[in-house]
Amino acid sequence: MALAVPEFLGGGGPSIIAQQATPILLVALGQCVVLQIGSIDLSNAATGLFACILAALTLGPLGVASPVLCLAVVTAIGVINGLILVYTQIPSFALTLGTLGVMQAASLVVTGSNVVYVMDNMAVVAWLFTVQVATLPVAFLIAVALAVVLWAFLRFTVPGQGLAAVGYNERAAALSGQPVRALKVLAFGLSGFFAGLAGLCVISIAGAASSIGLGSDLLVPSIAAALVGGTAITGGACNPLNVVFGALFVALIPVGSAAVGVDPQAQSIVYGAVLIVAVAATMSRSRHGIVK
Amino acid sequence: MASMTGTGGTGTRRAVLTWRGGLAELAILLALIVIFSILNPASFPTLTNLHTILNNAAIPIVVGVGASAVVLTGRIDLSVEGVMGAAGMTFVLLSANSRETVDIGWLAWPAALALGAGLGALTGAIHALAKVPSFIVSLGMWYVGLGIAALLFGYEMIPFLSSEAIVAWPTQSPLGLPNSFLLALVVVALGWFLEANTRLGRSAYAIGNNETVARMTGIPVTRFVIILFAFAGACSALAGIMGSLALGAGAANVGVGMLFLTLAAIVIGGTPLGGGRGGALRTVMGVLILSTLYNGLILAGVDPQVQSGVSGVVLVVAVIAAGWSQRAKLRVAK
Repeated sequence: MALAVPEFLGGGGPSIIAQQATPILLVALGQCVVLQIGSIDLSNAATGLFACILAALTLGPLGVASPVLCLAVVTAIGVINGLILVYTQIPSFALTLGTLGVMQAASLVVTGSNVVYVMDNMAVVAWLFTVQVATLPVAFLIAVALAVVLWAFLRFTVPGQGLAAVGYNERAAALSGQPVRALKVLAFGLSGFFAGLAGLCVISIAGAASSIGLGSDLLVPSIAAALVGGTAITGGACNPLNVVFGALFVALIPVGSAAVGVDPQAQSIVYGAVLIVAVAATMSRSRHGIVK
Repeated sequence: MASMTGTGGTGTRRAVLTWRGGLAELAILLALIVIFSILNPASFPTLTNLHTILNNAAIPIVVGVGASAVVLTGRIDLSVEGVMGAAGMTFVLLSANSRETVDIGWLAWPAALALGAGLGALTGAIHALAKVPSFIVSLGMWYVGLGIAALLFGYEMIPFLSSEAIVAWPTQSPLGLPNSFLLALVVVALGWFLEANTRLGRSAYAIGNNETVARMTGIPVTRFVIILFAFAGACSALAGIMGSLALGAGAANVGVGMLFLTLAAIVIGGTPLGGGRGGALRTVMGVLILSTLYNGLILAGVDPQVQSGVSGVVLVVAVIAAGWSQRAKLRVAK
């Protein structure tokens, strides 16, 4: 890309890409934990947007407490997803598709289909993208740091390795004494938490939230980012550090496709195609005879 | 796995006569009608409202017939809203419209249907040949469809359909019922015929019941799955055309909300997401139940915006209820 359009590297290009990559990266980090156990969370982007709307509504009256409240609410939503999943044993894509519908309706009802502007205390979240370190917004650096923490968690801790075990072979993990149910709830809780962080980033960038505004279109880009980052949709193979590069790649799609002359209207075709190609290229087929 | 002595799987003729085979859904529908008639005696039980409900049910029924054919095999098609948008925009731009693009007359119908069938076949082919889960391929195709629709929409004015006769056709009812609903019934008859009387349809049940055995008995699973996805794509395309007629204009988001509605209708109708049982007729019952529910809720003063939320809850509850008996300590559910 830098070769095709040399001026891309000057003029704040990296800073803009980092800004756009941050919400995608955060949602994708949550998604990759869920993918790690072999499930998928189709609701987390909508949950993140709900956090964004909640923040827009509560930043004025609550100030610093507002982000904490938002994160608590969306983490609870993720945990509820996980609890329903483990106790009813329904497929995660069906459950989270239902949750997606509920979250979309909740966003519409809470905002009354209007744009909600942050009235006061914008400073509580604004620093995420106004403060820059080495030309990169501090929020991006925090997200990368969280990716490193998540990597260490998955790689070096007992519950982290338990998540991988559930993804590789759930029955074997259960028979060898892994707390499979608790691990699944943990994965969905983390998914909600990271989506909430993404929502806070969106409100920091936009200063306003609506059910169809900025951040309402993160689902496919974030799944694509996780898959481009080498996460296997079948579970058990996930490296959050690679997801950082996946998110940067996906954030480059709009800039890149515009630079090479693709109509901006056609962007979602590119997102969809990247998603399909990424999953086709990275899926491990050896352990699964029948794919549905 | 679904037992072979169960309902629906071995034929639709017997299915309508048993409790688990359709009577339960009919009872729910009647209960809803009674409840809403008592709540809104002035506005709910009227002929006008019946026409409204049937007209609203037409588009999800058409989508549902195609989608349930895919669900029968244990696959899923999440691309319906994208295909609806792409096919709807294609239809509008190929018909007489305010932008004065090309007008190819009635050929706009087969052109839009062919686009839908093509997108469906592409989804099916990528899924079946590259062995990628159908939900993720069709999720990508959802976006591809929306992108095609946005590309066709471009940056110009909204393209309105010029012919008032065509726009008015779906809601007219020369035969006593709205034309849109009658068109949907034709699609249902086609879907039922496919499922009950053709090798393709019977194989769909077999694939859903036990794919390994289906392959061993010589059923061309890969080819049939691709054909069924193409059929679903064509159904979504027809729904996109009907949605564009209802709007009187082209819009990329013509299918918005349709995915939750039809998936929920499929599952409460009695086609489990694992496949092997159910079919088009069951999905019609599911759509009628949900359309009556939404209509009654809106007449009762509930905010129309909660519709996708209600669909989501109904979907989850229906999936839980359908799978409740199969829960087991060591069952693997992803």
